[in-house]
Amino acid sequence: MDLHSVLDWLQHTGWAVGLKQSDFMFPLVEGSHILSLSFSVGMVMILDMRLLRISFRSQRVSLMMQQLMPWTLTGFGVMMVTGLLLFAAQAVKVYGNTFFRIKVILMVLAGLNALYYQLKYYPKMAEWEQGSTPVGARIIAVLSLVFWFGVIACGRTMAYEL
Amino acid sequence: MLKTLIDHFVQWCYYSKDYAFIRDTPYGVPSVQSLHLAGITMLLGTMLVLNLRLLGVGFRRLELPFLAEQLWPWVKAGMALTIVSGILVFLPDPTRYAHNGPFRIKMSLLCVSLLYQFLVFRRVIRTVPEASSRGRNVALSAMSLCLWFGVAWSGRAIAFFQ
Repeated sequence: MDLHSVLDWLQHTGWAVGLKQSDFMFPLVEGSHILSLSFSVGMVMILDMRLLRISFRSQRVSLMMQQLMPWTLTGFGVMMVTGLLLFAAQAVKVYGNTFFRIKVILMVLAGLNALYYQLKYYPKMAEWEQGSTPVGARIIAVLSLVFWFGVIACGRTMAYEL
Repeated sequence: MLKTLIDHFVQWCYYSKDYAFIRDTPYGVPSVQSLHLAGITMLLGTMLVLNLRLLGVGFRRLELPFLAEQLWPWVKAGMALTIVSGILVFLPDPTRYAHNGPFRIKMSLLCVSLLYQFLVFRRVIRTVPEASSRGRNVALSAMSLCLWFGVAWSGRAIAFFQ
């Protein structure tokens, strides 16, 4: 079975059809997907600004992470679930959309960027978090802002026929 | 009277050449919409932090007046980006919005939100919530969240309802 027939099967499952045709559920799921950005990316922005020492300079990075992370992860959880539902409802069309593909690549890059931070800078945070942020961690913060803005822009642009 | 005024304004916008390039370039509207969504993410993300702290359910290791001092510039920056990009979405294509029900609800809610934000909320977040009753804090943050997320949801509804 090739990918196209899997996607075709997916968007013709009863619940995917139901979601796509519902006047109420589709806007609700789509609105939740977009507005949970405020929890996920909104809070990531604040952490990035701390790493760049633009805001919250007097606070330790570990404290900021500890306070922000539960909300960030909740936001990403809601985005993942609603995003998969939206994908299922229009699988063939969305899969073929160029901006969707760029968006997925950017999300992978943002994920790898965060993973690199967790492996390289997170374990030794106590050594630097009260002073200046290592250059590498600053670059990670800038890349994070760039990648997530790209994800937002591609997600929004997907809605247009281009 | 008001209707005639709105109609004249709408016609003026539509025939004015100044904003036509946004409508006439394929990436014009998607780009402005992407900035609009980035602004919304920044505004709602920072407003969430302040409200979650006011509610007493998050960010409890940071004092509210300190959060307010650090985040208020970003609240204003997100607000400015959202409003400017929003005007640039509206001006080239006013006929689509001026008579749209959700858009009118959105503009009305936006006016109330801005008044509440600058007359009430700005002062509230400069005081320590622990000094006031829980009921008062919950009511003040519920009002803020309902207003701003009300603006956002009615904005989303423009795409789905007349």
